[in-house]
Amino acid sequence: MSAARDFDVIVIGAGHNGLAAAATLARKGRRVCVLERSDTLGGMAGNFSPAKGVTAPRMAHLLYNLNPKVARDLGLGERIPLKTLALPSVALSPDGNHVVVEAGKARFADGRAHPDAAAFAALHDRLTRFAGLLAKMSENPPPGLQGSLLDPAKLGELIRLARLGLGLKRLGKVEMREFLRILMSNAHDLLLDEMGDGPLAGLLAADAVRGAFAGPRSPGTVFTLMYRMGNGGNVALPVGGMGAVAEAFASAARAVGCDIRLGNGVAGIEVADDRAVGVLLDDGTRLGAGAILSSAGPMPTLKLAGIRHFDTEAVRRLRHHRCKGSVAKINLVLSGVPAIPGLPVDLNRGRLVIAPSVEYVERAFNPAKYGEMPTAPSIELLLPCLSDPSLASDGRQVASAIVNFVPPAPDGGWTKARRNALLKTVLGVLEQYAPGLSGLVTQSETLVPPDIEALTGAPGGHWHHGEMGFDQVLTNRPANGMARYRFGVNGLYLCGAAAHPGGDVTGAPGRNAALQLLRDGVA
Amino acid sequence: MAKSAKIPQPFAVPIGLVPTPLQPRLEALSQAKAWAGWAGYITARVLDNVEFEYFAIRNQVTLFDISPMHKYRITGPDALAVMNRLITRDAAKIGIGRVGYAMWCNEQGMVIDDGTIFRFGEADFRLCCQEPMLTWLLDSAWGFDAEIRDESEAIAGLSLQGPTAFSLLAEAGFGDAVAGLKPFDLDEVEPGIWISRTGFTGDLGYELWCGWDGVLALWDRLWAAGGNWGLRAIGGEALDIARIEAGFIAAGVDFQPVHGAIRLGRGRSPLELGFARMVDFDKGHFNGRRALLAERARGPKHHLVRLDIGGFRPADGALLYHKKKKEVGHVTSGIWSPTAKRNVALAELRAPYGGAVKGDLWAEIYVNLEGQWDKRLVPVRIEDKPFFTHKRARATPPNRF
Repeated sequence: MSAARDFDVIVIGAGHNGLAAAATLARKGRRVCVLERSDTLGGMAGNFSPAKGVTAPRMAHLLYNLNPKVARDLGLGERIPLKTLALPSVALSPDGNHVVVEAGKARFADGRAHPDAAAFAALHDRLTRFAGLLAKMSENPPPGLQGSLLDPAKLGELIRLARLGLGLKRLGKVEMREFLRILMSNAHDLLLDEMGDGPLAGLLAADAVRGAFAGPRSPGTVFTLMYRMGNGGNVALPVGGMGAVAEAFASAARAVGCDIRLGNGVAGIEVADDRAVGVLLDDGTRLGAGAILSSAGPMPTLKLAGIRHFDTEAVRRLRHHRCKGSVAKINLVLSGVPAIPGLPVDLNRGRLVIAPSVEYVERAFNPAKYGEMPTAPSIELLLPCLSDPSLASDGRQVASAIVNFVPPAPDGGWTKARRNALLKTVLGVLEQYAPGLSGLVTQSETLVPPDIEALTGAPGGHWHHGEMGFDQVLTNRPANGMARYRFGVNGLYLCGAAAHPGGDVTGAPGRNAALQLLRDGVA
Repeated sequence: MAKSAKIPQPFAVPIGLVPTPLQPRLEALSQAKAWAGWAGYITARVLDNVEFEYFAIRNQVTLFDISPMHKYRITGPDALAVMNRLITRDAAKIGIGRVGYAMWCNEQGMVIDDGTIFRFGEADFRLCCQEPMLTWLLDSAWGFDAEIRDESEAIAGLSLQGPTAFSLLAEAGFGDAVAGLKPFDLDEVEPGIWISRTGFTGDLGYELWCGWDGVLALWDRLWAAGGNWGLRAIGGEALDIARIEAGFIAAGVDFQPVHGAIRLGRGRSPLELGFARMVDFDKGHFNGRRALLAERARGPKHHLVRLDIGGFRPADGALLYHKKKKEVGHVTSGIWSPTAKRNVALAELRAPYGGAVKGDLWAEIYVNLEGQWDKRLVPVRIEDKPFFTHKRARATPPNRF
């Protein structure tokens, strides 16, 4: 076959994980090309301009758990400028008694002490400690059981596992028991064991299931909550919008010589003698490479290479990859700042979460299960221009709303009428907390799971490129036998959020995949 | 008399073993009443007497009902691609109008089942095998432009085996049609009746295939022509002796189909079963290829071998030892071969025994002499060739008697 090697490694997709992988490889001297079908960087971590003079985060809008090793390796915030602002979280309450969470402490927005403040602080502290332990596992490929003990990679893995065990031991008997007790349980039970149901518990419940096709009562939602809190449980707003994060990743990649090509979709992965040797672009040109990393979903990647190159079992597992998108993103341009009764003006810039109770979040999930439209969704609302006025001119505001839960495929599909109905429902919910908000709307965009899939390639439009349930994390992410980034064909790797450790803007899957490729010595 | 009320019957699901269309004939012939289950159907282990039936295979001609066999049709533009993805050998090398033996593996390179592939056209295959395979085939064909049809209950089969098989077919009116059939050839000899020169005895023989509805008439036609040729209906036990003599392996006996094995490590690869020649690493990807490549590099963990065993006591299930001390394997199928007049077996040995180490192997045999058990260690020798071969199995056209 054609031996022409244009690059050492080709990365499919310029999402933050693809860029993290590219930068990691280029830092080690590989010639890397990143190919992106769309004309914008960042995938889900990108910006867009809904109106002249307005920049808004199109999908994801906050950073929770950017991996510190990724940030350090790429020089984010040092060599590469990336400024973030810590944001308070506000659990909105329909009666105006909003709850504010800042630095692990909860209080009412008007300064009164919250009756569950002590319980919250203890739980927050415990969850971040547990999450910190688990976060260690996200910086390497998931542990596997195969291979010889004499293999140095295997030995490193065992040492890491031993460290995790030691970390568990160090928690002490009571805490270790608690860790093991709650690890696989559900957020509903955990939260309501510790505090009464209300906006504060609702906030944590919403955080546990944001992006998941699961309610707080679904098993595994304590794990997803801890995953989100892997970096101390803080929430940060990137200055310049999420697109600034994507730009920072891209700058880091370019700084080490990566060739990033936008508007260059990959139509196929070329396989010769069971080895990925290049890609075919949408425009028919061919690029040869020693290895291919794909940040597309596992099934799209499999189809790019051709099903015939994969074992039936692998295809079967990926056919059943759970990736039902349940999140809608609504982007609004407002003519002014909406008033939120009961909330001090300086807290409007916070992360505003509408999840007045755990029960509310669970009920918000119910219609999505049956393909029905939401009536009372849980919403994470952000007014980024209040923190970062450079995003919009003329006093205009951006309202960025992540809406849980919408059906991935309602009966009859996502028609225009359904999108409008969803917007109306969401505005109706927002009105309950910010009366008059709808009157300020000058422009709106409603993105439902199929739109998110079409724009970014995220399988099913899933927020995390695949459910983060226990059946799809660690050695099972994306599927049993494919968890170590190697994707069947020699020299083909998965480097997106569908790979370990998973979703959110972490950069960890990309970095881990790149390091695995280097260890394997394929390019 | 009161008119009996018509009671609506629930959807009829057969309870217990199901008769094949040939059951009326077999029932009438059966002296032994030794019935058993085969893929949910009634099959005869013995009809009259296993010795009579065995010697009819080797000296006359025999009929055996193989209708319970699972049969799947694979058609469509991607049929060849699906077959090649499924099996370890190159399906493109099985010509149209030919039958090929094949194995297929899971992702670990362990054999799911073995069987025969009948190629009717460029993109038209039938797979005959022991294990139910529909879901596996559907999964293997997912994403390909191919149709999988379960023909198990649409197509019936008769196995006509023995030195006078050709003479019988000639008398039954199939002589011209089958005279030119070479081993593994396949032809539609009359509308709706296909004959392949295949079998499980290592001798001259044919398999006849027709619709489920037509097989009784076909049986009667052969039966009517059989008198001069010593035709005898047989059960599975006699056939089992013949297949061990011919050195053929049986699923569930000499290896465990991996989808049916619950315990770890019970699967065996084609390389372990001695079928490296059936694995074509150069044809592109097939299921289990990567695992088999790795296995080829490090060497198989087991060796399935043919054994000549000392003495005359059948050694079925006997444990095998190296230097009379170290247990290294066991016999999977063992018989006294009436034709070869030898004590023979198929056996599985743990590598390197049976591979690099072939000498000083012993079988532990327990014999019961009128109520008294005795343990004997008898020497065994690894054989390369089948215990029974005959040139008439390959002569084309076959000799008449």
